[in-house]
Amino acid sequence: MRLRQTLVLLLLGAYTLFAAGPFVWVAMMSVRTTTEISRNHYAWPEQWHWHKFADAWFGSGYQVYFTNSTLVVCSAVALLTLVGAMAAYALARYRFRANRTIYFILFSTIIFPPQITVIALFQILVQYGLYNSLIGLTLVYVAIQLPLTIYLLETFFQRIPGELFDAARIDGYGELEVFWKIALPIALPALSTTVILNTILLWNEFLYAVVLITDESSRTLPLGIQRFMGDQQQDTGMIATGLMIAIVPVVLIYVFFSEKLIKGMTAGAMK
Amino acid sequence: MAQVELNKIGKRYAASGPPAVHDVNLTITHGELFVLLGPSGCGKSTTLRMIAGLESISEGELRIDGHAMNQVAAKDRDIAMVFQSYALYPHMDVRDNLAFGLRRRNFDAMEIARRVALASQILGLDPYLARKPHALSGGQRQRVALGRAIVRDPKVFLFDEPLSNLDAALRVSTRAELTALHERLNATMIYVTHDQVEAMTMGSRICIMNQGRVEQVGPPLEVYHHPANTFVAGFLGSPPMNLLTAQVVAGPSGLGFALGEQVLAAASVLQHLELPLAVGQSVVLGVRPEDLALGGAAGPGNGDGLGARVRTTEALGAETLLMLELPGLDTAVRARVDRDSRPARGDTVQLLPDLARAVLFDAKSGMALARRPD
Repeated sequence: MRLRQTLVLLLLGAYTLFAAGPFVWVAMMSVRTTTEISRNHYAWPEQWHWHKFADAWFGSGYQVYFTNSTLVVCSAVALLTLVGAMAAYALARYRFRANRTIYFILFSTIIFPPQITVIALFQILVQYGLYNSLIGLTLVYVAIQLPLTIYLLETFFQRIPGELFDAARIDGYGELEVFWKIALPIALPALSTTVILNTILLWNEFLYAVVLITDESSRTLPLGIQRFMGDQQQDTGMIATGLMIAIVPVVLIYVFFSEKLIKGMTAGAMK
Repeated sequence: MAQVELNKIGKRYAASGPPAVHDVNLTITHGELFVLLGPSGCGKSTTLRMIAGLESISEGELRIDGHAMNQVAAKDRDIAMVFQSYALYPHMDVRDNLAFGLRRRNFDAMEIARRVALASQILGLDPYLARKPHALSGGQRQRVALGRAIVRDPKVFLFDEPLSNLDAALRVSTRAELTALHERLNATMIYVTHDQVEAMTMGSRICIMNQGRVEQVGPPLEVYHHPANTFVAGFLGSPPMNLLTAQVVAGPSGLGFALGEQVLAAASVLQHLELPLAVGQSVVLGVRPEDLALGGAAGPGNGDGLGARVRTTEALGAETLLMLELPGLDTAVRARVDRDSRPARGDTVQLLPDLARAVLFDAKSGMALARRPD
């Protein structure tokens, strides 16, 4: 028994090192200069250069990148939650002829890798004058995450007993009111899950951003970090600092909301 | 209070498929507690949902208080419904659950508070008003569901198997509470159940449904003692009525029923029939288990006895249930006898049926043969 426990602990410890190791390394590099890093990649900081964060924020444009990322992600997640919830509710609760066809079409787009759709999206945004704009990027993010959002929420809405909605209709509420006052509050665990998932995914999104945004003032955080990666050389210290600025909000969301995330994933799985 | 009329009501889910409900004609009068009873899938809940406006009506007309309701939305029919699963809003406390429907109808805050307080007092919900549904027991949730209907003060109350999710003991007490509530409110109530005991004890009249059709409507004891057909006879009662196929034969003392190798004198049944039977006619003789006594017990209308062999004996304490075989008859016969009678398996006993209470059915159609009015 003790041997088994020791083995399990060793395995878990090894995996923790494997998973957390790179993060700790980047964190250490974020407070070291590029010169110090070049001398010894893995050394503990001799001096803790906290000013690098201020330099990155004010001097290297991270304030702009962070603001852009926040605007785009918050707008996209808000739209995704609203539109996705309404679409999922309609597909889950209403019987109409094309219901399963629409659901299948939406769901099947999940299998397409982004490399297939990015060129077409580029052309569409150029055509509508939305290329190099935060609005264009927001709309693209909504489009790419909507199928997954609808899929997660549709399953949850299906499990809500229909009698709850019948009771609300008899109480005098119209279909939109039933959705707002009954369905959405009950679906809060699932909505929280989709909000958290979408925030994490879109915050780190790079491919669509790098293709659809070239203007310096419209860059999001992943693009801002890429600025420090040149063809001939790269500022490793500032890359690490930028990464930490980008990672911290995601880690905080996960630390505080992971329980909600898991609850939302399993909500309704058991009676 | 209101009168509810269903005229040739039907429901079809697919244009070419079989109807879920067909040709239902009912009139539920003011202040009546009308029970829709039947097996699962018989169409009773569908009929209730059509009355509520939660299902569209494919055929026929529904009227509440003389007004046609087919095209009227559920919220405008002035009805309240109590669901099997209570359908309480889980994100609201009891007070908000009770008030939710009233807020939508633009009642002012004082009126809402008054109605909520009254319903809460009637149903004993005062200690639970701040609780959410998940913190309530099954019985408490049931009362909140009732309260939500009461605060609306509707013309018609609809109940869709409201006691199904309660345990047996709670069901008994809640049944009594519902009956008392009906008397207090004097409201028109339509109650759907598959439980015979609920139907028999609560209904002013019961409507037996089967495969989307109405089989019989009448006061509970009337339907119990005079079933309209073999389905109603076999559905009501536990154990159900014994339905024995017999042929009418001529005997030394008049007509009799050939039951396997034995003949039972038919005189005490025939006197109640409107039309005479013919020799050779096939009938189904319906005798309730409680109308079968063991040899030696005399009573009005007892014919000659039938010899039977005991297959099983179930001593329930208050009574004994016997399953018996009649020689030459495939159908087993069930008898409910005195608790002190406990014949052993394999014993031969004499069965004395109380034929004055027996019902005769046509063997082909299953319909009860017409009786002379009492």
